[in-house]
Order: sequence, then structure tokens, then C-alpha cells
Amino acid sequence: MRMAAKCPLLIIINGLRVKESPMLSQPFKLRKVFLLHVNSPADDPSSVGIYFFRIAISLDEMGARIWIFSVVVAVFLSLSGFSSAQDLQIVNAERRIDVSSHIVKAFLTLKVENIGKSPVAEMLLAFPPTQIKNLAMVQALAITGKKKKKTYLPLDVKPTELSGPPNDAGHFSISFASPLGPGETVTLEVLYILTHSLEPFPMEIAQSESQLVYYRDSAVILSPYHIKQQTTFFKTPSTRVESFTSVEPANRAGKEIKYGPYEDRAPYSYTPVIVHFENNSPFAVVEELVREIEISHWGSLQITENYKLTHGGARHKGVFSRVDYQSKRSISGASSFIGLLAVLPPRVNSVYYRDEIGNISTSHLRTGFRKSELEFEPRYPLFGGWRATFIIGYRVPLEDYLFEASDGRRYLNFTFGCPLVETVVNKLTVKVVLPEGSKDPSAVLPFTVNQDLQVKYSYLDIVGRTVVVLQKDNVVPTHNVPFQVYYTFKPIYMLAEPFMLVSAFFFVFVASLAYVHIDLNIAKK
Amino acid sequence: MAAKPIASPIPVAMYPTLSVFTLAIGLVITAIFFIYEATSSRKNRSLAKELATAVVASVFLGFGSLFLLLASGVYV
Repeated sequence: MRMAAKCPLLIIINGLRVKESPMLSQPFKLRKVFLLHVNSPADDPSSVGIYFFRIAISLDEMGARIWIFSVVVAVFLSLSGFSSAQDLQIVNAERRIDVSSHIVKAFLTLKVENIGKSPVAEMLLAFPPTQIKNLAMVQALAITGKKKKKTYLPLDVKPTELSGPPNDAGHFSISFASPLGPGETVTLEVLYILTHSLEPFPMEIAQSESQLVYYRDSAVILSPYHIKQQTTFFKTPSTRVESFTSVEPANRAGKEIKYGPYEDRAPYSYTPVIVHFENNSPFAVVEELVREIEISHWGSLQITENYKLTHGGARHKGVFSRVDYQSKRSISGASSFIGLLAVLPPRVNSVYYRDEIGNISTSHLRTGFRKSELEFEPRYPLFGGWRATFIIGYRVPLEDYLFEASDGRRYLNFTFGCPLVETVVNKLTVKVVLPEGSKDPSAVLPFTVNQDLQVKYSYLDIVGRTVVVLQKDNVVPTHNVPFQVYYTFKPIYMLAEPFMLVSAFFFVFVASLAYVHIDLNIAKK
Repeated sequence: MAAKPIASPIPVAMYPTLSVFTLAIGLVITAIFFIYEATSSRKNRSLAKELATAVVASVFLGFGSLFLLLASGVYV
């Protein structure tokens, strides 16, 4: 007997030994009871069930011996779903995945229809467990209007836990601008960004070889809803594609691979595909970046950034020939990179680029009205697995970034994220150093970060400066959005610094006065 | 939302000029102080005068060194 239950994957193998009977053809040995429980993000105790039966009817008693044993309960993906999930259906889905750089950008255009009877306020997006940990950002827009008059409305996207989710898929819930009534459709555009998803294969390459990578995904979009029609496009950086898994109908034209159209797929259907292609774009990965923003009320913001940069692609094996690298630059070191670009604020001054050895002179700064660009090169080209550590620092005027809010508090409005273009930061720490005498610091960001407070002792400090530490993992260039740090500050505290200097000079004068007035004569005149 | 930018109370471009002038005045008053110490005899000294000169000199020197620090890029 088989029992299907709405619960995570359970396999039980059971056997039993029963007493011998003349009608029994073969004895069955007792085997171990196995319980394989796949971890689910939300353990729902009510859904975990172990069911096994054994019914033994003695032949002597009833004239027939019915053996029911070895109940193998394999509980599969719960296709019964949840009542709210089946209210929605995706009429048309188009997914464009851009794998031209090492940051994978996917654009999903979904046309969602409400086939239930009540308005639905939110919908779910599902991601396979391998993608969930590499997901850097998910954004959703609602599209209204047609063709030229499209308007885009950003929607709230939140990660959600589902009770009894099948197959450890991760979910995000998108709240509609207004609840979707029965029979209505809405078109959504979802952008999600994956990092570290291009796996170099072969894992080690020599200097003259090109870099080939694997990208694993599904030809069919993983979704909690039924999808009536869908197509997936992959955009590769060059026309060299070694292979791609063929799931009919799939074909390739130039730099584009098209999977689809697929009709009528059940919820949570998933067909894994692998695309093996050439990608020589610079795999610039910053392992750790510490940005320190020091606010001085005397007129400037000093930013110091400590980088640990690596090449995150196929590791370099063999020798590095400088002659080959410089003479045959187009073939040699195709996947290596030397030039990097940092986008800095417009009115920037006192920019320096150095490392532990000293100043690095291979850099060019171009200041502009909307932004400044710093083109810089590490001391050596970066091949797979190679590292470079350096510090970039610059100063910007205070009035561009420090403002007074309507309730009297001051706030700093600055961009979060790494100034380098097309770079993934594995661990980003932003430290905002508030001047001495600041109270009640708080940070406001459009996404979640880890916040902390520290104390830093700097020039002319008595009690130390409060530092607001914001820490985030897996940061991509789309995280370069403004954030605010609020604090209260009484302007009178600015006088603490000159007062310290004044009292130091006064002490010198008083000491000289004392020296002049003290009478050390033994004999009285 | 009222976004009033906050700037330094003294224009940043004036820091070098201010530092030169305040330091110059401070050094002149320091000179007056030490000349007074050197030329007056024990009987004629007036503590009030000495202290007043010392206070004024240290104020000017203190602010002068602050503006000198700011002008040279050490934004304290």
C-alpha cells in the first residue's frame, strides 16, 4: 500500500520476517529501516508522515495469506500545491538570460492571470536551491500601457519561506500595486542577477587558451504556477558555443540560443540544461572591500577604499610569458585583464591609488560634471587565480552629500556599493565615520545589510568618533544606489577641536609665566 | 523633503588665507608677551596684563593652527 502525503521527500525501506508458513514461498529477512529526510527550509511537523503498514493474515486463520509489506513510501513533489498558488496562472513567460559577462542578468517578462475567484495581492517567484545562494538582487516592475507609452512601476520583492516547499526551492514574493481581481491579467518584468554562476571548464587554462565556461539552468522556468507558454533565450558573448543541452525545440543562431516555445508546463517543472561557451570578459571579483567614509564638518568627506581583487575565472597554469603577452596580445591572455575603471563622484579631488609598496602611477583620472572616471591598472595583469591588493582614496566636498532633514537631524546621502564597473564584491563593508559629538546614528538602505557600531580615534579626538558599519555580501553594480545615515549634532561641538588647540598653546604660555615668576634664590635680597 | 545642504561654517577656499593671518597676529601677540616678560622687572610686572596677553595669543595661535591643519588637507 502506498501512502502519499504532503511532506518532504521520505523514503522508507522496510522488511520483516514473519513466521514460516507452509504457503509461504520465500522467507523475508528483516532489513534496516531507512529514513531519508531531505532538509526543507521550513519544517512543518504536521506534514512529516511516516506511513507503513504490514498486514499479515495467517493462512490458517483465513485460508489466504495476504502479504503486504515493504511499504516503500516515496513521497514526491507535492503537486497539490497551496490554495492560493493555484489562483494564478502565467499565460506567457519570456526569459532572456544575458551571460556575456560574469555577472548573469536574467530578465523575465511574465503575463500573469488570475483564474481564481478572489483578488490576489501577491505572487511567488521560485528559484532552484543552487541559484538561491548566488542571487544578488531581484527586482520587479509592473508594466502598464502599450508599446511607446509603457510606464514602469517598481514593486516590493521580499524573500519568503513557504511551509513544506518542495525540493528546497527558494521563494520571493512580489506584492502587486493593487490586488489582481479575478479574470484580470498583469504584465510584470522581473530582473534577477546571479553571481559566481559561470563555472570555468576546463578549470585551468594556459596563457594562450581561451576561457570556456559552463552555465547551468533550466530550459523551463521554475515557477509555483502553471505556465501556458514560455520561451527562454540565452545571449552569449561570442559565437563560439561548444555545446548546449538540447531540449526540443532548441536552436542556436549566432550569439543567441533559444529554448522553446514550450506549452503547458506544470508548476515546479524543471529540465536542467548546460550551456558550454566561450567567455573572455574580465572576471573581476573583489574578495573584500572596505570603504571608509569620514565626515568632517569643516568641509569635506574623505573616502578610503581597500580592495582585494582577484580574477575569478579559469585558473592559470603553466608559465607566464611576458614576451608572448605583449607581442600577441589578442591571443595571449585572452581572458586576463589589466585595465579597470572606477566611477567616482563628480567634484572629486586628491585622488590617490597606492598599495603597500607605495604609489601606483598607472592611472588616469578624468573629472567631469556628472561623474569622474579613474582608469587604473594593477602592477601586473591578472590571470585566473591571481590577486592584487590596493587602496584608492579620494575627497569630495561636504555640501554635495550632507544635508539637514526637516526634523533637524543631519544625514549623509552617499552611494552604497563598489565604484568599479562590472565587478562582483564578495564581502563589502561600508564604514561611515561620524564626527565627534554625533548622537543617535541610524542608517536607511533600500536593501538589507548587517549594521553595527564601532568607535574610531582620529585627529584631535577625546571620546572617539562613532562609526556606523554596514556589511553586505554578494554585491553587484546594481547595488550602487544612494543610502542615508542620520545623526544629530549640535554645531557648538565643532568648537571642541579649536578649544583643544587653544588650551594647548595657553598651557605653554602659563608654563613660561610660571618659570618667570618662580623665585629660586636661596638668599633673600 | 527639505534637503538643505550643510557646508562648513567658514568657506573652504578661505582656509589658507585665514590661517596665514591668524597665525601672523598670534605670533605678533606672542612676541609682545615675551618682550613684556623680558623688559619688565619683578616689581613692575602685572599678572593681569600677562594673562590677558597669553589668552589672546593662544586663541589666535590655536585657531591659526586649526586653519593650517585644514588648509593642508588634514580635515580634523
